Amino acid sequence: MATTDQEVRELIKREYEHGFVTEIESDTFEPGLSEDVIRRLSNLKQEPEFMLEWRLKAYRRWLEMEEPEWAHVDYPKVKYNDISYYSAPKRPEDMPQSLDEVDPELLRTYEKLGIPLHERAKLAGVAVDAVFDSVSVATTFKEPLEKAGVIFCPISEALQKYPELVKKYLGSVVPVADNYFAALNSAVFSDGSFVYIPKGVRCPLELSTYFRINAANTGQFERTLIIADEGSYVSYLEGCTAPMRDENQLHAAVVELVLLDDAQIKYSTVQNWYPGDETGKGGIYNFVTKRAACNGKNSKVSWTQVETGSAITWKYPSCILRGDNSVGEFYSVALTHNYQQADTGTKMIHLGKNTRSTVISKGISAGRSSNAYRGLVKFNPGAEGARNFTQCDSLLIGDRCGAHTFPYIESKNKSAIVEHEATTSKVSEEQMFLCRQRGIEPEQAVSMIVNGFCKEVFKELPMEFAVEAGKLLEVSLEGSVG
Amino acid sequence: MLSIKNLHACVEGKQILNGINLEIKAGEVHAIMGPNGSGKSTLSQVLAGNEAFDVTAGEVFLNGDNLLDLATEERAREGVFLAFQYPVEIPGVSNLQFLRTAVNAMRKHHSKEDMNAAEFMKLAKEVSKQVDLDPAFLKRGVNEGFSGGEKKRNEIMQALLLQPKLAILDETDSGLDIDALKVVSDGVNALRAPDRCIIMITHYQRLLDHIVPDYVHVLADGKIIKSGSAELALELEAKGYGWLGIKDEAVANQ
Amino acid sequence: MKTAPMLSSAFLQPAGQALPTTLLALRFDRASSLADLLLPTRRTENWKYSAKHLKLTDEMASSLPSDASVEAADISGYTVVLVNGVVRPEVSNYPSIEGLSIQRFSELDVDDAALAADLIGKSISDQPAKSGSVNLSQLNGARFEDGLLIQLKPNTVLDQPLFVIHHTTASHSGSAYPRILVAVGRNSQLTVVEDYVSSGDCSVMVNTTTEFNLDDGANVTSIRLNTEGQAVQHMGTTGVRQQRSSRFESHSVGFGGTLRRHDLHVRLEGEGAECKLNGVVVTQGTQHYDNHTTIEHVAANCNSEETYRNIAADKSHAIFNGRIHIHQDAQKSNANMSNKNLLLTNGAEIDTKPELEIYADDVKCAHGATIGRLDDESIFYLVSRGLSRRDAKVLLTMAFINELVDQIPVEQVRESANIGLNQFFDQAFQEV
Repeated sequence: MATTDQEVRELIKREYEHGFVTEIESDTFEPGLSEDVIRRLSNLKQEPEFMLEWRLKAYRRWLEMEEPEWAHVDYPKVKYNDISYYSAPKRPEDMPQSLDEVDPELLRTYEKLGIPLHERAKLAGVAVDAVFDSVSVATTFKEPLEKAGVIFCPISEALQKYPELVKKYLGSVVPVADNYFAALNSAVFSDGSFVYIPKGVRCPLELSTYFRINAANTGQFERTLIIADEGSYVSYLEGCTAPMRDENQLHAAVVELVLLDDAQIKYSTVQNWYPGDETGKGGIYNFVTKRAACNGKNSKVSWTQVETGSAITWKYPSCILRGDNSVGEFYSVALTHNYQQADTGTKMIHLGKNTRSTVISKGISAGRSSNAYRGLVKFNPGAEGARNFTQCDSLLIGDRCGAHTFPYIESKNKSAIVEHEATTSKVSEEQMFLCRQRGIEPEQAVSMIVNGFCKEVFKELPMEFAVEAGKLLEVSLEGSVG
Repeated sequence: MLSIKNLHACVEGKQILNGINLEIKAGEVHAIMGPNGSGKSTLSQVLAGNEAFDVTAGEVFLNGDNLLDLATEERAREGVFLAFQYPVEIPGVSNLQFLRTAVNAMRKHHSKEDMNAAEFMKLAKEVSKQVDLDPAFLKRGVNEGFSGGEKKRNEIMQALLLQPKLAILDETDSGLDIDALKVVSDGVNALRAPDRCIIMITHYQRLLDHIVPDYVHVLADGKIIKSGSAELALELEAKGYGWLGIKDEAVANQ
Repeated sequence: MKTAPMLSSAFLQPAGQALPTTLLALRFDRASSLADLLLPTRRTENWKYSAKHLKLTDEMASSLPSDASVEAADISGYTVVLVNGVVRPEVSNYPSIEGLSIQRFSELDVDDAALAADLIGKSISDQPAKSGSVNLSQLNGARFEDGLLIQLKPNTVLDQPLFVIHHTTASHSGSAYPRILVAVGRNSQLTVVEDYVSSGDCSVMVNTTTEFNLDDGANVTSIRLNTEGQAVQHMGTTGVRQQRSSRFESHSVGFGGTLRRHDLHVRLEGEGAECKLNGVVVTQGTQHYDNHTTIEHVAANCNSEETYRNIAADKSHAIFNGRIHIHQDAQKSNANMSNKNLLLTNGAEIDTKPELEIYADDVKCAHGATIGRLDDESIFYLVSRGLSRRDAKVLLTMAFINELVDQIPVEQVRESANIGLNQFFDQAFQEV
């Protein structure tokens, strides 16, 4: 039986597998934040004048704001002047014209992450934009997308090529001073993805962005803007990893989705930022604002997230259901282990008639972690016939962790109906005994039971992501069986 | 094949088994009967390695290996199978996924390659027919929303799939109607094999009409107080446990 | 950012100096700790929906006369009457029963005064107010006058309910601070009915705190009826501490007003304790009612069951905030919370926040909340049987809360609750 024990030990020993650092020459700003830094950044990116003004306005508002304290998370204050606000791989003065010109070290990095950027090894049918520290390094499959009229490029490029589009929608969903972290992002975001799907176009490929923080002492502030014009459809995937470092690193992203009449966006995230080690040292602070505006009639947005990484997660992908009959969905799996803390959920703001929303949240807490669902469901007076259904389930593994539910439900319309349910359970000894009696390893049994618990969410993920998500849970749960 | 020597066990500080001795040879079927609280289910849980029970003395050998040294899952891979009296539900985990994981864990232990999904599906469909379960059950969550009878058939189906050396059937007959009892019994009879031994734990004699045991043991206060042939079960049915000097309300009330 | 207004020092001048020195000292301490605190605003988490209705102007700070004349309560049975927060024995009628002691603060001897001082505030710790703003039940601690200490010796059963009538009456603005302490010994039983009534149209605040301490095996039923006038700001706090195998049951029926707030905080401190909390709230016009409950499972093997129903009509606003907190050692806890709401008109608002905070893994906790409307199909069914639409709606709305009203174990209270509820229905469904 020695082999089996050893296998278990090996499994538990396995660590965060994306924790390597890429040795690459970088151009990095000195730490610190000021109007000058923002001007330098904007200048470096050769941004249009309106953009600089926009950033400065955000910065000035940010200075007046206070870091929010209402979330059920606890961390030392972030020292914003110790962070570098820009880091980019050094490369020839001109942007690479094709992938062949991309630094081979970078390409190898993405190969290691399982995200082949090179044409011949590309994932079939998925176009990838890779963001490395502060800049987008490569976008694949540009041609077939262009043929369909789809714009998929780094947002810095969009600012050059389509300034009017960006100007019209940037900040229209998440205003510059929406919250502390969004204001910071608005001031300093360095890159991110921009997507425009024209009227009536069903995007021929899954679009995907992979984010990687590599440099030390830098923050990552990416900005994603997706516009789905009338009757269009797009499925967008997002993944992220970071090296293992002892200090905490800040990630403050903003994602804005705009949906016009009959448009549909499916936005999936597998968040696997470095969670810190088993003593709680290091890890990413993931303070993210994601919001979709269903401005058009019959539009539909679906957020699916699998959150296993980060030391702290502060994230509430939301839907503003403005258009009549618009639909918002939120499917979430959030797993915390060791000393991770998550405060995550969604906001469903029902403004239009017959708007509908569904919230399925599965929280799993292990180790000494804390996992909270925080959600808002709001029916405004105009939300005739609106509906919401919310199901929040928590699973506890071990007796040193916390599982919390903080749902806010507000209604001002008599015809609206909301139903909210929450339950808490644990992986029972009986379930474990049944699995083990059938010869299944305890670790595998836990991961199987947890996967079963998350099934309703995983089925919303695109196929290849669902497989990845399942594996991720398995890795994240290692060592949780005591 | 199976040798239990002086087995003592307790749960939450309460002594339940008080020195069980039992020898079972390959190919034999032994029935263990006894009133409620006599320790029948505890014996099955202890053999399977439920950590809620503490073994305070004794030894259990299966083919020369001391089972008590092995973790639950290791015993399972050495061929110990327990058909649970109350199988637990595991929401969201499909029966198919569960069973394939179990079968491959066994195969790995015996240095065999994993069975691929298609092969496994074929096999699983065959055995599910053997216990009259619609193959659609394979896609449902483990025991999720199964009726009592379906759960029991599901247990026997798993035994047929995992081909154990020692199968312990804990009250597999309880809660079954006559038709279901027949199906389950046929399944158990199909399990009988020269290299396998079976322990049937039951309260009533009716199961033994369908599966005729080689030996019958009567358990009371955590000890085997009488052993005999299949006739002993009939005698118990006729006379109750009283003539052995034990009280049993369940039988007395009949 | 605008800073919140501070609690005026006028609120820290208590009346009623004829108390035992320990209690005077305690009051003084509380008052000092409240100086310079901010008033809650909508940013104060547990005042999010109600802060805008809070009026704590200087004129609200003045004490109300404790000698105002009131009629004796029309209740057969044991009664204690408080007028503007002060016990009035001459209009009360409580028995002298072996094992039962009902005393005014002003008549406590040194030992009982020490007991009272020890009990004050003990059951209502752990308020989630980290914001540095004033906690209004602490204000009661700084202002209470001649309150009530009720003690029940072990193995004593009170044969009928004890009615505590809180009367607020005023010819000028001001505030009253009733304080009641209840200590129930081992295996004793008690039913307390608190009835809040008022007369006069002046803008007044009732800031009331009642604390129950249940010893092992004690069994307490607390019934609370709230029928004060529109102009009364009601700020009520009930704290409960339960020891081993004790049982606490609470029934409350609340009618809205300019501001109604009730915080009910139960701590299950001994193994095997259980509590059941039922609540009904109806609001109409521009009324406001805000219920906050917290159930803390401190010890293992405790059960809690909570059911609240709110109905809001016209332009009114009803709020439910229920929190279940399972401590790390509270394994094998069972906690269930259900909150259902009916919104009758588009001008009204209902907010609900059922919270779970869980630090133990072997627990069964669930909560459910709904906000909805009367079922069209059910209305149609009743109308097709010949009922008017109005009657159909009244019937279905009553059905929504009947289950809870029927559980109130004192008939007199059920009757008064039903009278109030019928008036509510008469007005709420006038237009149809």
